[in-house]
Amino acid sequence: MPRLLGVEIPADKRIEASLTYIYGVGPSTAKRVLEQTNIDPNLRAKDLTPQQINEIIQMITSNKLPIEGDLRREVQSNLKRLQAINCYRGIRHRRGLPVRGQRTSTNARTRKGPRKTVGVIRNKDAKAGKV
Amino acid sequence: MGRSLKKGPFVEPHLLEKIDKMNNSGVKKPVKTWSRRSMVTPDFVGHTFLVHNGKIFQSVFVTENMVGHKLGEFSPTRIFKKHGSHTAKVTK
Repeated sequence: MPRLLGVEIPADKRIEASLTYIYGVGPSTAKRVLEQTNIDPNLRAKDLTPQQINEIIQMITSNKLPIEGDLRREVQSNLKRLQAINCYRGIRHRRGLPVRGQRTSTNARTRKGPRKTVGVIRNKDAKAGKV
Repeated sequence: MGRSLKKGPFVEPHLLEKIDKMNNSGVKKPVKTWSRRSMVTPDFVGHTFLVHNGKIFQSVFVTENMVGHKLGEFSPTRIFKKHGSHTAKVTK
């Protein structure tokens, strides 16, 4: 299991696929990196020579691709900014509701999580007729 | 769809005029506005806006981070009250 950029340990899949195990590298980035380094994407990750591994690492770092911790931090700070300025998108993030104007009457389960029944919260004064 | 870059950001002309005037004279007064569609420009930083949300004017203090957003984003138009708690405040 070759190590790439610290903690990444792709298995014995094709490198094109195993590169995508890095957070921040998807199918298209993996393809582009391999194209630019002239490495056959069908090679298995374990068959890579140390030189080829170095080339891949260099390609990713020199292109300033945000990866792993850095990328995660970037995303987090973006969210934090939205929440700090109290804008609509920030509020939606805070409440865990969809941010881009989707309906919430039904669906939106990805954001809202598993269904939870919300009961009526009775107003104490309602019965007494004070309202 | 986003706005064409060619046109530049949209800010209501009368709002821009008001801010310009205040920046030149150095006084800072809250600006009452209905123009939720206006983009926050760097000139706006440090000013307070009273942005209409359909009912009241929400006060919005503009900081540097808000540049590039629209004024309306900071003045929510909907209030979520808890389910079922029908107090006098809600039903009004």
